[in-house]
Amino acid sequence: MSENKMSNLLSSKRLRWLAAAIVIVNGLFPALWILATSLKGEVELTAKPITYLPHNPTLQNFISAFRDQPLLTYLLNSGTVAILSTMLSLFISALAAYAIARLNLKRRDLILTSIIAVSMFPLVTLMVPLFEIMRAANLLNSYWALILPYTVLNLPICTLMLVSFFHDIPRDIENAAMLDGCTRLGALWRIVVPLAAPGVFTAGILAFVNSWDEFLLALSLNSAVAYRTLPVGIQMYQGEFAFPWPIISAALVVAMVPVVIVIVVFQDKVVSGLTSGGLKG
Amino acid sequence: MQKRALIDRIIDPSETTLAWLLLTPAIVFILLIVAYPVLSLIVNSFFDIRLSRGVPVRFVGFENYLAALNDAMFWRAVKNTLIITFVTVPGALVVGLGLAMLANMPFKYRGLIRLSLLLPWALPLAFVGLIFAWFFHSEYGIFNDIIRRIATLMPSLGWEPQIWFNSPSLTMMAICIATVWKTSSFMALILLAGLQTIPASLYEAAEVDGASRWTQFVEITLPLLIPSMLIALIFRTLTAIQSFDIPFSMPGPGEEAQTLAMYIQLNSVDYLDLGYSSALAVFMFMLSMATTFVYLRYVRGGRD
Repeated sequence: MSENKMSNLLSSKRLRWLAAAIVIVNGLFPALWILATSLKGEVELTAKPITYLPHNPTLQNFISAFRDQPLLTYLLNSGTVAILSTMLSLFISALAAYAIARLNLKRRDLILTSIIAVSMFPLVTLMVPLFEIMRAANLLNSYWALILPYTVLNLPICTLMLVSFFHDIPRDIENAAMLDGCTRLGALWRIVVPLAAPGVFTAGILAFVNSWDEFLLALSLNSAVAYRTLPVGIQMYQGEFAFPWPIISAALVVAMVPVVIVIVVFQDKVVSGLTSGGLKG
Repeated sequence: MQKRALIDRIIDPSETTLAWLLLTPAIVFILLIVAYPVLSLIVNSFFDIRLSRGVPVRFVGFENYLAALNDAMFWRAVKNTLIITFVTVPGALVVGLGLAMLANMPFKYRGLIRLSLLLPWALPLAFVGLIFAWFFHSEYGIFNDIIRRIATLMPSLGWEPQIWFNSPSLTMMAICIATVWKTSSFMALILLAGLQTIPASLYEAAEVDGASRWTQFVEITLPLLIPSMLIALIFRTLTAIQSFDIPFSMPGPGEEAQTLAMYIQLNSVDYLDLGYSSALAVFMFMLSMATTFVYLRYVRGGRD
């Protein structure tokens, strides 16, 4: 924590609380408001003026959320796609990062830059040809239609983070393992990756959240009910003219739970990952 | 003997060979999912490919591009996209800077502050679009509720609740507000990390010299934050140009608030007009590249 002069000057206790309150309300209010809406019954929802806290909380909307749409399927689809693409992305970028960070390679900076450049490509630009390719390969409406592109989308951030983590591992440990008869690859899996575990983990969380949040490809490539992910499925509660807001809110609450768990449990890692990626990129 | 050597080399290749072997999966994936699609996109943009009509694919030269130039819906989508970009990029920067300054003040419950900055970042854009659509609901939305309350307290202001999604300009405003909320927290996290690297001694020295707090902000804080700002700004601008999730998730007055990404998606996935949508996507590609180029020039210029 930094206690610079400027914050000292401003830091009468009341001012500090006010500052904190603004940040907290700004960040958490929308989610809390959706939670409040999800607990309101039909009568209370259409009452005016609107109530801020539900007077007669009900769980009916949650039952409807699971009944009106296959919410559980959406959750499982999102989980499957996000977890598999994250693992694949980590595996591929660990190999690439090891080559870039450790092995005798010319133009390693150029190679790393080229991988990072992938994140500059607009997703919409990739969506049009990917739609055609997946269509031709009969992969529309399958897990692979999303796992393959998500894996590539996460390569830049994963490779970047792993390269910097691999750099920090002393070569001596690796050399000692190889003197004991370990091959290079053996040293990578048994020594380097475990030592870089915090970095691997951080990269994994960022990749997971990226994949979990993706909407455009999921909507365009997997529109069939059985393969819809959450961001797509959650749009399906609305009819042509009707938005059943309490039910949508209940579905949103359910859908937010995994995200909230990830950021509550891993907040240190997420913050360090985001800021290092942003500052070093 | 030679066979033995070959096997040895496969089992224990030279370091450079091994390096390229390890890079192979990444290269294959990037070629398959990025390079090949982008090439085929450029090629397709010169053809008439309408899968829905069963017309044979034929070469049309620049016809798709010319069609785009004469397409009012395309220009409207471009205009909407540019409005969103020019409003939400500076918007996210200013709000993010404000949040970062506030979050940098000493406070006992750091975890809660951090969580408040992380939640908007972690929520899918599509969720944020829906959440704000509910906020802007004409009858039961919280924005109109606040407007009604203020109107009762201070009738002289003449504030009236709005039917946000009936009007293109109000819909654009809703889209921009939702986008700024969603993206400013990431900006704040990056800037907060930047703020915490600024040595306190600089402010102490400025204090001795009698510099005002505003002068300190302009002379010390802002210049030292620029490096962390720039990278975040490049990515924020690139994603703003691609705005899709939030406008798509909001009810809106139909096509009036369509973005370029929405128009491309409509032409490819719904109309199956792959030639035309490819040309539009090439345009978006060039727009992104131009943006990156301008920023990188600025970064280099700043360093010299």
